[in-house]
Amino acid sequence: MYRRLPGPAALRVAISLVVLAIFLVSLHFFYEWVGNTFLDTGGTVG
Amino acid sequence: MTETVAAPPVGAVEPDGSSSTGLRVVRGLGWTLIWLGVLTLGFVVHQLWITTWLSQLNQAELDSAREEHFETAVITEVEYTPIVIAGGGPGQGSPDGTGPVVPGGAIGNTPDELPGPRFLQVESAPPEHEAFALIRIPSIERLQEGWNVVEGVRRSDLKTGAGHMPWTPLPGQPGNSVISGHRTTYGAPFHELDLLVPGDRIEVDTALGTHVYQVRESKVVRPTDVWVTEPREGAWLTLTTCNPKFSARQRLVVFAELVEGPNAAVIVGST
Repeated sequence: MYRRLPGPAALRVAISLVVLAIFLVSLHFFYEWVGNTFLDTGGTVG
Repeated sequence: MTETVAAPPVGAVEPDGSSSTGLRVVRGLGWTLIWLGVLTLGFVVHQLWITTWLSQLNQAELDSAREEHFETAVITEVEYTPIVIAGGGPGQGSPDGTGPVVPGGAIGNTPDELPGPRFLQVESAPPEHEAFALIRIPSIERLQEGWNVVEGVRRSDLKTGAGHMPWTPLPGQPGNSVISGHRTTYGAPFHELDLLVPGDRIEVDTALGTHVYQVRESKVVRPTDVWVTEPREGAWLTLTTCNPKFSARQRLVVFAELVEGPNAAVIVGST
C-alpha cells in the first residue's frame, strides 16, 4: 500500500502515519464497542 | 475424432503458476483466521494495557478537578444524629447477618445516649461524574500514591477512576460509604484488594481532610448481594471489586471502619 501512495517519500510516510493513527483510533472504538456489547461484565473483564 | 481434456483437480496449480479456486479459498480462510486471531489478541491487549494507560492519563485531569472541588466545596457543621440499625452490629442486613435493615436505613435519634450535642463536618455534595476524593492504601503499591474517586458508578465513571455510589454517604460521614473500582482493566485500582488484611489502613482525602479507615473484614459475595451497600452503624468504608481477577463472576468486598479523621471523634469517639 505504501508503494502505491503518490508523492515523495516524506509525503508517503506522513500519509501512512495519518492512516495508521486513524486505524488505531478506529480500532480503539471498535474494541470499546465489542467490550460493551459482548462482555457480561459491563464492558470490561473485571 | 474429438479429443477430450480432463478438468484439473480441485486445488491443483495451473501451468502458469496461479492457484486454483480451491486453493485460493483455503488461503483466504487461513488469512481470515490469522487476522481474527490478531484482532482477538489486540482486544486483550486493549483491555489489559491500553485501558490502563488511558486511565492513568485521565488521572492527571482528575487531579485538577479534585483539587478544584477541595477549594470550592462548602463545608458546614450539622448536629450529629447516630445511625441506629435494627438488629445492629457488623453484617447487619446480610442474608447471613443478624437481621434485616429497617427500610430507609433505620436512622433514629438516641439523644439520651449522647453527652451533649455533637457536630459533624459535612461537605457539599460533589458534582456527578466528577472527582472529589483520593483513596490511598499504603499496603498496596499501586495505591500508595492514591487513585481519584469520582461521584458515580456508571460504566463511564469507573473507566476514569474509582466510583463512589451516590446513594451512600460520602467518606468520613456516618453510615456505609461504598466505593467500587476495576480489578484488571481501566487502571485496575483494586487489583490487589485481596491482599488487605484486618488492621490495614485505608486513607481517603476529601474536602474535609484525610479520613483513616482500618480494615475489619473481607468477603467474597455474589454480584446480587447488594446488602453490602446498606447502611451500618458507625462510619464504614466498603470497597467492592470484581472477583476473581479477569472475571466478574463474584465480588470481593472489603469492610473498613473509620478510626481517624475530622469526624472520627464525633462518630466513633476516637481522634
